[in-house]
Amino acid sequence: MLTQNAMFTKPDSALVIAGHGSTLNPDSSAPTWALAEEIRRRGVFGEVHCAFWKEEPSFRQVLHCVDRGDVYVVPNFISEGYFTKTVIPRELGLTGDATRIGRHTVKYCAPVGNHARMTELLLKRAADIAPGVPPEKTSLFIVGHGTDLNENSAVAAKREVERIAALGRYREVLSAYMEEAPLIAEWDKLSTSPNVVVVPFFISDGLHSYEDIPVLLGIAPESPGAASANRAAVFANNPYRLRGRTLYYASSIGTEAGFAEVILDQVAAFDSSHPA
Amino acid sequence: MRDTTQKLERWLRAGGKRVGQLSITPANGGWELRHADDAERNDLAQFSKCDDARTLANLDDAGAFRPLKTAPTLRHGWRLVLPDAHSLRLALEYFYPAMLGVWLAHSRGEVTPVELHDTLARQTGMYRITQKLTNEQAQRLIAKQCRATSCMKTILWRISRDVTVPLLPPGKFRADAVPAGTMPLLCQEACNFLVAAARKMVKDETLAP
Repeated sequence: MLTQNAMFTKPDSALVIAGHGSTLNPDSSAPTWALAEEIRRRGVFGEVHCAFWKEEPSFRQVLHCVDRGDVYVVPNFISEGYFTKTVIPRELGLTGDATRIGRHTVKYCAPVGNHARMTELLLKRAADIAPGVPPEKTSLFIVGHGTDLNENSAVAAKREVERIAALGRYREVLSAYMEEAPLIAEWDKLSTSPNVVVVPFFISDGLHSYEDIPVLLGIAPESPGAASANRAAVFANNPYRLRGRTLYYASSIGTEAGFAEVILDQVAAFDSSHPA
Repeated sequence: MRDTTQKLERWLRAGGKRVGQLSITPANGGWELRHADDAERNDLAQFSKCDDARTLANLDDAGAFRPLKTAPTLRHGWRLVLPDAHSLRLALEYFYPAMLGVWLAHSRGEVTPVELHDTLARQTGMYRITQKLTNEQAQRLIAKQCRATSCMKTILWRISRDVTVPLLPPGKFRADAVPAGTMPLLCQEACNFLVAAARKMVKDETLAP
């Protein structure tokens, strides 16, 4: 997959990566912080910051920390929905794609989940978790959150399923959700292959990927907190043999190294569509 | 362009040495950070990268996650030696996110505190019900959530124009009430932790009965 950002540097601009964060575990914000560290290391921007909804620096505070006037904000979110359309613009005080706020000009980029490279990252996660397993004998599930009053993740998961299915590699490619049909809990009824690979379409590992989805799959006990208590085990114990199938369960894609390129691409895409 | 790193360095050279529970001292041409309680200890685990600060700031002494970094629960037993003020600035962003930037902005008169009722009024989705929080509930809530044993920040905002929080000491609201050499931790607006707690209070006390 081509990236647009191979050479650009922006020493006079700042990057703010906007994430969700969590009050319950540090794994939610960890991929966002790691991305900031990686992009900072590459020296692409004059400065790199993070901001969060549930942690600090908050979206309300972050501009006080930004020295440079030219600021790109990239949401580290999978779906273009409530957070990217309502919460982040409201909390930052954005009125459009580019907003003048005090001494800053804030350029609001598309979320990472919109990027074409998500397909490649999902495929990489699927291949890594089930090495040597022939795709033509495998059903691949992309799992989204599904209906949550304000979320729009089902759309993103469906889009990725269509893209992966079009490649014709896997015997079948299916979307499933935690809270709406088709339910991931019915994975064995929805799929027909002897091998089943499940990849959560989330930025970071947390309650959903450690506990909720494993319980729905039947690979973790239902007692609250039991799965979270030993987070890595749910991925280390692959493959699972149950319901007459071999099941492989992957971690969320947000820690893939390729996410740094995705962030940079979203900045390049903003510039392409907003010529100076 | 502003230069926050330069401002930080100037503050340090002028005797700045304390941020929250952190003590900052010159070391090997750079700077050393440690828990202020550990000032006399010589058995500390040593770290040397600014990104190590993320790990050090994330968990308390008992290994529990610290979502609110201004809670007075910084872990003990380490020292972080950094080569320059730039690295120190990045490390401070993990230990006390946004606090350096907010303090400098406040000293320039650029911070406009937001009253709690205005913060709650703009909430949507699951937090919209916080708009039902009464002044009396807000006073109790802030007294519990923002007291010094929960959060070290100085509160710059009010509940609304005429409503204060009598249950907390006056010093909790005074940005100048810090000792010399200490960087104040300033709260410009109710954080998401308080908004989330307001939601729980409204659900428990107002909607549930």
